[in-house]
Amino acid sequence: MQQHLGRQDGVQKVEVSLLDGKVQVALKEDGRVDPARLIRAVYESGVTVAEMDVIARGHIVKDSSGGIALQTQPNQSFSIVPNDSSTGLESLAGAPAEVTVRGELYKKPAGKKKPDPNAPLRLLILEVVKKEP
Amino acid sequence: MKKRRLALLLLLGLVLPAVSEAQIKHIEMRVEGMT
Repeated sequence: MQQHLGRQDGVQKVEVSLLDGKVQVALKEDGRVDPARLIRAVYESGVTVAEMDVIARGHIVKDSSGGIALQTQPNQSFSIVPNDSSTGLESLAGAPAEVTVRGELYKKPAGKKKPDPNAPLRLLILEVVKKEP
Repeated sequence: MKKRRLALLLLLGLVLPAVSEAQIKHIEMRVEGMT
């Protein structure tokens, strides 16, 4: 799994803790990484991702469903799951302000439902770390 | 001299936006099924 992940674009280093199943992914300076590809890479190595947390910086934009999304690259954005932490961000949609958030991008379905590594990723904001005008 | 300044400004203009570009800063996963 470590090798699978290490081969993905944007990944600089992968540290795996066998004790608690935590995987820390150090990213290259440009931050151009596709989290969905990382999940698929882990899945293809025979391991299941239980959850993925990210710290990301980007602009708030309106998504196609009328909600808001965090745009981290011109061609990469993640729909934001509405919650208490995201309500303050709606007013920033379309503004040039940048926000840094900590959030959960993936969580394995509860129960016996089979995880789908190709399911679209949605960002559940846990904390707004920084807002920059 | 002016040309050098202009070239420097142009270079900074190209580099700075790339540095401050929005991006994913950190990823942490919890995995299951490792042996």
